[in-house]
Amino acid sequence: MRSPRTLEVWRLGTVNYLKSLKIQDKLVSERKSHQIPDTLLSLEHPPTYTLGKRRTDHNLLIPQSQLTKIGAELHYTQRGGDITFHGPHQAILYPIISLRSIGFGARNYVETLERSMIEFASMYGVRARAGNKCETGVWVGDRKIGAIGVRISCGITCHGLAFNIDPDLNYFEHIVPCGIADKEVTSLRRETDALLPKEEVIHKQLITCFAKAFSYDDVVWKEDPSFILDTKDDG
Amino acid sequence: MALRLMLASSRIASHLRISVSHRAFSSVVLKDLKYADSHEWVKIEGNKATVGITDHAQEHLGDVVYVKLPDVGRSVSQGESFGAVESVKATSDINSPISGKVLQVNKDLSESPALVNSSPYEEGWIMKVELSDAGEVKKLMDSDKYSKFCEEEDSKH
Repeated sequence: MRSPRTLEVWRLGTVNYLKSLKIQDKLVSERKSHQIPDTLLSLEHPPTYTLGKRRTDHNLLIPQSQLTKIGAELHYTQRGGDITFHGPHQAILYPIISLRSIGFGARNYVETLERSMIEFASMYGVRARAGNKCETGVWVGDRKIGAIGVRISCGITCHGLAFNIDPDLNYFEHIVPCGIADKEVTSLRRETDALLPKEEVIHKQLITCFAKAFSYDDVVWKEDPSFILDTKDDG
Repeated sequence: MALRLMLASSRIASHLRISVSHRAFSSVVLKDLKYADSHEWVKIEGNKATVGITDHAQEHLGDVVYVKLPDVGRSVSQGESFGAVESVKATSDINSPISGKVLQVNKDLSESPALVNSSPYEEGWIMKVELSDAGEVKKLMDSDKYSKFCEEEDSKH
């Protein structure tokens, strides 16, 4: 009989990208040394473009010098995947979980992240699907609604998924999103006629779908985000 | 009849130095290699070692699209990350099973990262290392232990 699995959830509001990397580094280290259980960060970023480990900056279609003009930052990361955009009204989940304790490899993990988003979309009557080979992510027809980019280090995950609730899709025009040309990006707002509740509610629904997909027995909602946001700033 | 086939396949397997376990969906584990619990293999030849990731690892990763190779000449330490592989939008760190100095890396993986999937123990090798501490090999698993380890991991879900 396996021991019950607990997920601790931190809802952090809008967090600067670099700050979120520092928070994740700290949590990954704490998870590796068993100081914390599986942890999930739920947040949004201000307008930010990010690149993966392969540094595919040819997929940024405007000069880096123009980025401040459009109110966006650019960051290079160690996650898998290509270039993407994060911004207001896009729900982000960063799971810091131990894949070894559930015997998952990268493929199972990413497929379960996809299932979480598909299940969530279905709550609004949106029929989403997992991507075809080489198109990891969640699609509605040929339009991408959810993106994935993760890093796994000693079996502990960081980075995660981004689901478009109602972001400004114009920001995606400045990139070849995820390196896939000729495919549109879409959002929950565009794909459903259903009335969207407050974003707090939407985030909670997405978190619940994640917890269900990963078979957590218990979800602990952490109440004081300042505990995690007040990470010592090195710069 | 089934028993005769099983014995025959075991005899062939042992000639080819393959450990075959008679259960569904088993991955290939080679007898003459040593294994780390992070699913890397190492072949020791004197004071030189060849390192790669196992069949179990490549199955669980999915299609590898990129391999971040270490720089030749750098040091690697047992249990520490020395590179990464990317598959299905996931970058997975790979850890060195032994300590030493990187002598050679498999440049074929830059053009053909999928070799890690199709031939994890042969053409998909990742680096060759000059060992700094041969005693470390004792900390690694042999093929039987590693097979059991994989079975236990896979039964967790």
